[in-house]
Amino acid sequence: MFRLTLKNLLDKKIRFALTTLAVVASVAMVVGVFAMTDSLRSSFEGLAEDIAGSSDLSVRSVQDLGDEFDRKPVDEGVAGVVETVDGVQLVTPVVSSFNDVVVIDREGNAIRPSGPPALGFSWLPDQFFLINGGAEPSAPDEFAVDVETAAKNNLIVGEIYNIDGPLRQEPFRLVGIFRFGSPERHSGLGQTMAAFELETARDFFGLEGVYNELSLTVTAGTDIASVQQAVQQAVGPGLEVVTAEAIREETADDFNSVISIFNNVLLAFAFIIVFVATFIINNTFQIVVSQRIRELGLLRAIGATGRQISRSVYLEALLVGVFSTVVGIGLGVLLGNGLRELLNVMGFSLPSGPIELRPRTVIWAAAIGIGVTMLSSIVPARRARTIAPIAAIHSDQRLAGASLTRRLYLGGAMAATGAILLGLGLFAASTTRSVLTLVALGAVLVFIGTNTLSPSFARPAAMIIGKPLTLFGISCTIARGNAARSPRRTASTAGALMIGLALVGMAGVVGSSLTKTFLTTLDNSVEADYFIQSTSAGFDPSVTFSEEVVEEIRALPEFESVVRYRFSQGSLLINGDTQDIFTADLAEVELHLDADIERGSLTNADPVNGIAVHRDKADDLGLTIGSPVEVTFPDGQTDTLTVEAVFLDNSLFGNWLVDNVVWERHFTRTGVSFASATVTGFSDDLPEDQQQELLAKAAAAIEPVTKHFPTVIAENRVEFRQSQQDQLNSFLAVIFVLLALSLVIALIGIANTLALSVFERTREIGLLRAVGMTRRQLRRAIRWESVIIAVFGALLGLILGVVFGVAAAIAIPDSLINTASVPYGQLLSYVVVAAFAGIVAAILPARRASRLNVLDAISHE
Amino acid sequence: MDTKTTAARAENAFKVYGSGDTEVRALDGINITFAAGEYTAIMGPSGSGKSTLMHCMAGLDTLTDGEAYIGDQALSTLSERKLTLLRRDNIGFIFQTFNLIPTLSAGENITLPLTLAGREPDQEWINEVITTVGLADRIDHRPNELSGGQQQRVAVSRALATRPSIIFADEPTGNLDSVTGNEILSFMRKAVDDYGQTIVMVTHDPSAASYADRVVFLVDGRIVDELTDPTPDTVIDRMKTLGG
Repeated sequence: MFRLTLKNLLDKKIRFALTTLAVVASVAMVVGVFAMTDSLRSSFEGLAEDIAGSSDLSVRSVQDLGDEFDRKPVDEGVAGVVETVDGVQLVTPVVSSFNDVVVIDREGNAIRPSGPPALGFSWLPDQFFLINGGAEPSAPDEFAVDVETAAKNNLIVGEIYNIDGPLRQEPFRLVGIFRFGSPERHSGLGQTMAAFELETARDFFGLEGVYNELSLTVTAGTDIASVQQAVQQAVGPGLEVVTAEAIREETADDFNSVISIFNNVLLAFAFIIVFVATFIINNTFQIVVSQRIRELGLLRAIGATGRQISRSVYLEALLVGVFSTVVGIGLGVLLGNGLRELLNVMGFSLPSGPIELRPRTVIWAAAIGIGVTMLSSIVPARRARTIAPIAAIHSDQRLAGASLTRRLYLGGAMAATGAILLGLGLFAASTTRSVLTLVALGAVLVFIGTNTLSPSFARPAAMIIGKPLTLFGISCTIARGNAARSPRRTASTAGALMIGLALVGMAGVVGSSLTKTFLTTLDNSVEADYFIQSTSAGFDPSVTFSEEVVEEIRALPEFESVVRYRFSQGSLLINGDTQDIFTADLAEVELHLDADIERGSLTNADPVNGIAVHRDKADDLGLTIGSPVEVTFPDGQTDTLTVEAVFLDNSLFGNWLVDNVVWERHFTRTGVSFASATVTGFSDDLPEDQQQELLAKAAAAIEPVTKHFPTVIAENRVEFRQSQQDQLNSFLAVIFVLLALSLVIALIGIANTLALSVFERTREIGLLRAVGMTRRQLRRAIRWESVIIAVFGALLGLILGVVFGVAAAIAIPDSLINTASVPYGQLLSYVVVAAFAGIVAAILPARRASRLNVLDAISHE
Repeated sequence: MDTKTTAARAENAFKVYGSGDTEVRALDGINITFAAGEYTAIMGPSGSGKSTLMHCMAGLDTLTDGEAYIGDQALSTLSERKLTLLRRDNIGFIFQTFNLIPTLSAGENITLPLTLAGREPDQEWINEVITTVGLADRIDHRPNELSGGQQQRVAVSRALATRPSIIFADEPTGNLDSVTGNEILSFMRKAVDDYGQTIVMVTHDPSAASYADRVVFLVDGRIVDELTDPTPDTVIDRMKTLGG
């Protein structure tokens, strides 16, 4: 039996190749994702080590809340206290500034990587290693820069560069170039590092009287743990003493959580591909068995048992699985590199360490490659078992499948259960994990359910889709008939395409809803005329620009008022829950943004002790105007603020809004996240040409500011609208690229099915050719059959996608999406793309069919 | 009608498979003419080359040497595409089994060669053919809803639909019971008598052959005998002599 199976496989090379391709693609994707993220992990572990440095202990503030970069600094007096502790040999005060120290090159461009941070440091003698005889910065106008940044941007020692800091811009002379981490090799992941003499750094970063932390070296031969204890006693509560090891672990954990996000998102796409491939493999085995039904019947007739027959099907699956796994692992390693390049092209700066293949990855690859093929062969193998010996004699034997009525009940039940799970996941689940689990499980069930269901309406659907085609002649009529003749096959072939398009459709609906919500907010609630943000802001709260920018704009007569905004994610504690916070200049913000104030006022609010809250939160916590609210900040302080306003629109400020004064009291970060400005004399009621004139004047006035500070861009309403839309579109484009692979696999599935159908219909094709069908007409018939199947799958998928998308749009918080919008034109274009894809998938099968020898085909059995 | 007109002919036709020791001559120098309006049966034992002759005459297969003509058209000079169009427009086919496209209705099957050519069927003629073969009430049915005899009647109608210069029938009754078979043969006879259709039929059934105007006997790729106005008995007699 083994030899027979093997011979069968080798005999049908194309079929084998096509089946294998789908499995190989899934295995490669999974391997690629693991290999890439593993390599990222190794690189980042190395970086974490370098960040921890060679000191023994660090003294820093205790932090329970908020981001690492919001950790409260240590009072400078502590250094003196620590120095006196027995066993402490050396105390090195460290100051740093996260993501807001940006060097400007000679051409006036900001050197700001998108993704990795732009960092500022005091000189760290045991972590920075000068190259080529440079000097460490020792005067107030000197700085040094890391070797990667210097090389990439042509920075030259001796030249003077402007540097944007959190407070202001200042010129510094470059005196040295250093490697970070080790004297031989710079440990860089794309971050930029500017280093200054300690006092200069404190002044430039706005850290007067404080340090971010103290680095301690312990006297040789002393027990680190006992020194740690002694220092902790000396500094008292509020500060903590941690080992370098602990810092390394902390940093590695931070990096890991970021890598895990990458890993999970990419794995989700890999999972989709695996799922699609399962459909296709199952379909192929199904066809393979029906194709060999006479042969299998003959085997039964000459004495093979049903068990032997099904075993031969399993064996074929196993061989395909093993082969695909081996090839898939090889391709996966290549794909890992490719994925990294893709992400880099998209604006990430990922380190280029060697791609890693860990044993875990290989195990996963085998589990998927072999598991998926074996799993997909279960049903076909069971059917093969039931083939009667008589099948050898009757040529028109068909495999028994579940009846269409049974399918209707089974599929309906599955789809309904899936829909319920989806609903629960979107609307009732509380944790991220349970949301994802329920949604994924629900979606899978809906897909399988729909696919079980779809054969029962594939015939009429194919007839309807093909109806307009019949006008184009007999080839199309035949195509339509063929697409409709075996609804199970059409449905399962279309099923693979359905999944991809459901996801694309869903992404389309969510994206369009996001855009629409954003644009509606911009049009209805935003009164400001100009918007100022960092060049690479995105949604990273740590990317800021200096107050100096705001001051310069405020000084321009062309602008009436400027409002600064800052925000921080999850760094406040209110009533026991962590909350996001927004800040603004309350006195003026109502001129810029209309948050639909229900009660109270922002303009008249007390900036020092006031807070504004969204209506939902106010209702939850029973707050009204004048209610006291206890707010705990990342510096550990708790303020009692008074509710001054309740607003209805949370798309602007989220749930909580305070004045910048409150922020400055509790955060050391002084940079501004975003600013808006109103143009003097501008009003929507003015005639169009006067509006344009004012805007042109404003643009001319603000240009020197953005030239001075190349880290920011200033856009008027129209430009801002466009750039935000572009940003969203490029994000969607990334999703589509990742989904494209699943579509390619679906195409392989269509090609596969068509090739097998052509084989099955050899005699019919021979007859058609005999009675005068030309090769071209034959190719056309197969092409249109493919188009009908593809369009059927696309429509099915898009219908599901719209339902998923609308559900997601409803489930996503109102602050991001408050109206569901279906981009019909876009969806229609996907159908057209699917139809074209169908044409592409049909190329090879059609060519094969047209080259059949007529006489051989007629006498084919 | 001018019976002198030639519908198809073969000149010195050779069809050789393999070479050297394994050489098989399926056709070994055949010269034959099929006059227009004539009903010819080709008979012979298995392996005599009767199917090969038909395939080569119909442009489904090519000769190793010699030439086959449909009308005055030499087949070897035609491209694959021209050959296809020739089959579509000038030749009708009736096979033993699997004569119909399962996804098309009986009516669509009948007009298939015409629709392939993008021509409007001559509805009057089609109706006449359908009525003659008694399929009027079955016209919208799919092949799998028809009996074997009905399917074969559809095949005959399809072959007649284009009024081809010649119809080739390969054991058209081989899969039918004798009553149904005789019906089909009568229709074919009628097509020759009433419409002047030219038919070449391969068969090994003497009673089927007796419907023809003449019977050509093939053995080992050569024409060994010919019989005009055959009856089942004369055919059987002649077969016996050939066998002996």
